[in-house]
Amino acid sequence: MEILIQLIFSGIALGMIYAVIAFGYQLTFATSATLNFGQGEALMLGALVGLSFAGNVLGGPYLNFWMMIPLVMVFGALQGALVEFIGVRPAIKIKSEFGWIMSTIALAIIFKNVAENIWGKDDLKFPSPVSEAPLHFLGANVLPMEIIIVVGALAMMLAVEIFNRKSIYGKAVVATSNDRDAAGLMGINTRLVITFSYALSSMTAAFAGVLIAPVTLTGATMGSVLGLKAFAVAIIGGLTSGIGVIVGGLILGIAETTTGFYISTGYKDVPGLVLLLLVLAVKPAGLFGKTAIKKV
Amino acid sequence: MKLTLKVAGFAVAAALSAMAFAAEPIRIGVSGPFTGGSSPMGVSMRDGVKLAAKEINAKGGVLGRQIELIERDDEAKNERGVQVAQELINKEKVVATVGYINSGVSLASQRFYQEAKIPVMNNVSTATVITQQFKDQPDNYIFRSSANDAIQCGMIVKEVIDKRKYTKVAILADSTNYGQLGREDLEKALDAKGIKAVAVEKYNIKDVDMTPQLLKAKEAGAQVVITYGIGPELAQIANGMVKLGWKVPMMGSWTLSMGNFIDNAGPNAEGALMPQTFIQEANTPKRKAFIEAYQKAYKVDRIPSPVSAAQGYDSVYLLAAGIKQAGSTDGPKIKDALENLKEPVEGVVTVYNQPFSKTDHEAITANIPVIGMVKGGRVVYAYDEDKKTGSEVRTKATKAAPAAKAAKAVPAVMEKAK
Repeated sequence: MEILIQLIFSGIALGMIYAVIAFGYQLTFATSATLNFGQGEALMLGALVGLSFAGNVLGGPYLNFWMMIPLVMVFGALQGALVEFIGVRPAIKIKSEFGWIMSTIALAIIFKNVAENIWGKDDLKFPSPVSEAPLHFLGANVLPMEIIIVVGALAMMLAVEIFNRKSIYGKAVVATSNDRDAAGLMGINTRLVITFSYALSSMTAAFAGVLIAPVTLTGATMGSVLGLKAFAVAIIGGLTSGIGVIVGGLILGIAETTTGFYISTGYKDVPGLVLLLLVLAVKPAGLFGKTAIKKV
Repeated sequence: MKLTLKVAGFAVAAALSAMAFAAEPIRIGVSGPFTGGSSPMGVSMRDGVKLAAKEINAKGGVLGRQIELIERDDEAKNERGVQVAQELINKEKVVATVGYINSGVSLASQRFYQEAKIPVMNNVSTATVITQQFKDQPDNYIFRSSANDAIQCGMIVKEVIDKRKYTKVAILADSTNYGQLGREDLEKALDAKGIKAVAVEKYNIKDVDMTPQLLKAKEAGAQVVITYGIGPELAQIANGMVKLGWKVPMMGSWTLSMGNFIDNAGPNAEGALMPQTFIQEANTPKRKAFIEAYQKAYKVDRIPSPVSAAQGYDSVYLLAAGIKQAGSTDGPKIKDALENLKEPVEGVVTVYNQPFSKTDHEAITANIPVIGMVKGGRVVYAYDEDKKTGSEVRTKATKAAPAAKAAKAVPAVMEKAK
């Protein structure tokens, strides 16, 4: 039983990492039906910028971990806006169905190369802001940082949801995601809303980056595998649902750790991907997604 | 008069062309991962190679020609390694290639050299099959100056089973060729002692969570964890063990000496054990000179991967000795010369006295490496007796007696080389 609890704890921590990246996919998809395939790179840049402030890679530390987070979030927002401006806006303008796919992938590769040139190609250690000694809880061990990841990710998603539901600006976002043309006719600057959603999406990714960096390693290639797994999570959970990505992330995370233990560590990625195929076959909009009706 | 002028003209022309020929550098390829998780090994190897080439060039080169290195990043990817091999052979027209860190890349790439009859001096990759890939062919162009997995696994098993008397071991290996071929050798070596690992687990490069693997090892009652992987993931294993509050010794292949394992695991790396052909300790004049030259040239205190640097350095000297003895840059002639090196080659790892033969392309034998241990963020000798005898150069086992003599005769050889 203790083993199962330990596996579930580790799975939850892993799943929340996936969920918080997948949440970023969901934000931009809601407003513009486009995705930033560089979500993993946004996360990586956030982690490396954070490391530059709080670690000693570029002559620091200049700030402590908690003070650095707002700066990283600002950086993430700017980076996301840049991606939208360069990569996505031209594609939306000419109503290209696929242009944004190539351009966000291209930007992701560029960001990775820039990061390799600034921070080097090696994995770096991110100093943990809290103790690295595990806590004992229900007979299993949890790292304090893992608790911070789960709490931080949930808090951030909650904050974004509250913003969308309660504030006037958030309502503009919701209106744009419901019907972009109608929202435009109501006087909402939908183009700005889309830029804003990209900024928000990269901001969450950058925040996720600094949250997870102390338990994973930090480096130019840290985002690629995580970005891909998060994409699977977004599809399992549904690209239109905030709850969906959390559930999807937890399913994938726990599936990975428990399969690794009970079946074989060689197959630990299989159940998540089988689930992905099942979801696509049975409920293509995702477990919590709204089925889109496309009128032709 | 006319005739003499003509003859003189011919002579000048001949001399000029001879000079032009003499000035043409000997091109040697360097293939290794200079980016990614394997880069501490690749970069250290390359820097060791560059250091040796610089020294040789400063002394007038080989056959009166300078060595020119053509460096290519194979990114630790098999397909990239193949491209690099083809480029080095067909476009850059290299005389030989040194390098290869990743066993998978090495196995995928070296067939092109074998076909082109160009020697390869493998200086870091360790899979046992590497020098035996072309066993069935009349000539084998693949040589190696690193300790292969069979040697390392033998040492690991001796340490864990014979010396420390553990009976329950867990193996954690990554899913690359390196990890899986190493795991096979390890299981074979354990088998010979009548021991079966209680847990044999696998993980992928870039995995961020090792909980299931470690839990399985823990539940199976493992007394020691044996690893086969590279730095970043090894650090995740060490950190994961601390997270689970499970403390057993960690031992593994030589990669546990990588800088990115030691840095990323921090205090959790302390005490990890691994076989090493070279430990950054200035206990012979040659090693002292090498370490100081490396530190000065690359402005570091700790060499990112001392073993790779030393083996890379030695591989160039071995190859240069082969070219010198062959008196030619012709691949088959260099190969023949390497298989029958007449003069001992003094390297930092050991003194190579007839390191290769027609049937044996391994320069390192089981008696040469020592057990290293991570202590205070560096790799040191795990045992005091090894440290004390560290200055006595261990030479290849089969030629033990003459090699010892050769070690003493080295100053004379060095003089000759100058």
